[in-house]
Amino acid sequence: MNAVGFAWRSLVRQPARAALGVLGVAAVGALLFDMLLLSQGLVVSMRDILDRTGWDVRVTATDDLPGQGPRVERAADVLRAVRVLAEVRAAVAVRFAQAEVDRAGAEPVQVQFQGVDGAPLWTITVGSDVSRDREIVIDEGLASMLGIRPGGSLVLRASCGSGDESLPPVRLAVSGIADFPFAATSQRNVAGTMATLAAACGGNTGPEANMVLAASAGDPAATAAAIEAAVPAVRAATNEEVLGRIQRAGFSYFQQISAVLTSVTLAFAVLLITVLLTVSVNQRLGEIAALRALGLSRTRVVKDVLAESALIVGVGGACSLPLGWLLAGWLDAILTRIPGLPADLHFFVFEPSALLIHVSLLAATAVIAALYPMRVVSRLPIAATLRNEVLG
Amino acid sequence: MTPQTRQLPIPALLAALVAVLACVPALTAAQAGADARRPVPAASTGAAEAPASGTAEPPGVLVSRQLAEFQDLRVGDIVRLATDARGSNARTFRIAGIYEPTPNPARLGQPAREMRLHLPDLLDLTRAPGVPAGTEHVETVTVTLEDPADAARFSADVNARLPGVLAQPATEAAGSAGPFLILERFHLAIAVVTIVAATVFLLALTVMLVDERRETVGILRLIGLPARRILVQILIEGLLVASVGAAFGLALAVASERLINGFFQWRYDTALVFVRITRDVALTCISIAVPLGAAATVLASWALLRRNGLRLARR
Repeated sequence: MNAVGFAWRSLVRQPARAALGVLGVAAVGALLFDMLLLSQGLVVSMRDILDRTGWDVRVTATDDLPGQGPRVERAADVLRAVRVLAEVRAAVAVRFAQAEVDRAGAEPVQVQFQGVDGAPLWTITVGSDVSRDREIVIDEGLASMLGIRPGGSLVLRASCGSGDESLPPVRLAVSGIADFPFAATSQRNVAGTMATLAAACGGNTGPEANMVLAASAGDPAATAAAIEAAVPAVRAATNEEVLGRIQRAGFSYFQQISAVLTSVTLAFAVLLITVLLTVSVNQRLGEIAALRALGLSRTRVVKDVLAESALIVGVGGACSLPLGWLLAGWLDAILTRIPGLPADLHFFVFEPSALLIHVSLLAATAVIAALYPMRVVSRLPIAATLRNEVLG
Repeated sequence: MTPQTRQLPIPALLAALVAVLACVPALTAAQAGADARRPVPAASTGAAEAPASGTAEPPGVLVSRQLAEFQDLRVGDIVRLATDARGSNARTFRIAGIYEPTPNPARLGQPAREMRLHLPDLLDLTRAPGVPAGTEHVETVTVTLEDPADAARFSADVNARLPGVLAQPATEAAGSAGPFLILERFHLAIAVVTIVAATVFLLALTVMLVDERRETVGILRLIGLPARRILVQILIEGLLVASVGAAFGLALAVASERLINGFFQWRYDTALVFVRITRDVALTCISIAVPLGAAATVLASWALLRRNGLRLARR
């Protein structure tokens, strides 16, 4: 019988203890798996959203995150200067404004109005895209709330200035329903051309945009450098640089908590398996000494202990993956309720590298946890142990 | 070394595990609060206080500690402020003090590089050409009431008398607390999972502890001690071990509190308190860890005590 078979029988002899060991490793392994998903989840998810939009350079007035700093002044000139660059394939200026949509017999709905000068930043799901001024697309949530479908219209009051204007309402035609990649779960969205936004704001938009998005013809970093050289008053950032800014602005909190909990869970696992194996070995010292006396080598009994550790960790680790997946779904559902985050953003995102690290850490745990009991077995004095066993 | 001397200190391990049980909720239940450390300078000003006019000295401003460190500014320095990068219409101010900003959890990771000006100075600086003085707008007016309990009634009164103005009690206006309530739920969920994992460990350890005492328990049964008497003894032992473990866990949590806060305050350059072991948190930890430790001991012993004394003693 090989070492694995022998270890399996040793575990089966103590079913309660083995089951608790496997269960403990499964619980700890699930938490470990989740922390590994969390450590890079936000960055992976945000990168996915940024890449999906197709725009790989974001031009803003300062190094603040897009939408959080001051607006780009003389946006039309900046857009023109960016579009003529050889490194730029396409560019669009974006302006955000807060607006209220009137509802018959109910409180107005607060919405975010996106005005764009160029290609749309949304994906049409029903109806058609805006084809003229005073035409808009809305998100599915707003369409359901207002009971409006493409072909209908709504009355909207936008505010592009300080927020203390009292502008007349504007009726806008709804041409379609769209998905907005950065829309928060609780946020309702309306979008149209920059001219439509200007009309909704009573012409009070000014020559400003929140940002200019550019699609590079080749290397995004070279495109960003070319834009800053052409328009020194602006800052151009690639998606990777935007991710870096986002991480600095607080995403790293989850990486830190993930690192702390990963260390705690691994320490837990090592402690549990070490105790399980050591007690198990201590209770079988006589048996192990007898096997040694019968001719089993020192290496062989050490291998038995290692195989026992590997079996507990292996079975527990295998159970931890589905358990961790379920747990990640629950934890993600809690965290994605944070207001203001894009609806498509997730905190726990699977990546093959996370699985690889998980397996490596558990394998290292199995070996480290088995070190002490292996030492006990390898240094076992055969004659003294057998004598004590007989006298005991 | 003989085999008999290699006994594992299982009660000590149990105590350590209960300590972890006590420690984890304390660390994970704590949330990022908005408590400031002691302010660096003794400088405070009301935003709408009158400017120091009529003297040749430039008006005073306060500078946040983060901005002062970033720009190497000191009290008494003269600075020029403008509303755009070109420096048009810049005005001169004297730094009257450096202050530690009230921590804002919603701006974690964004250094608070900011200044405080007297409101008339700020309006003079930011007023657009052609806008008459006195017609500017402000974002917020903060009111301190004689009786804070009147906040709701006062807000309702202001809302009724001043259409276009929204008055809210400060507790309701703190909308940015939303994300932190959700983070608190996340920490709680992590704590629950950790406690479940620790409970499994605890059960495994107590099963082994009881197994090692099989013969002792068998002999006690044979010399006439009733099962109930032995169970009480085990329960008391479990309570003692769990109490020691819980106390050790709390001590560990208190000791690491300063370390964790220090690290995150350094990492994010903030005065936010990330972990705080309050009396309620400590009581919650003890109320979870001690009964759980004792219950695990009794549960693991129960099956053993139902067996025959001779079988237990292997006689």
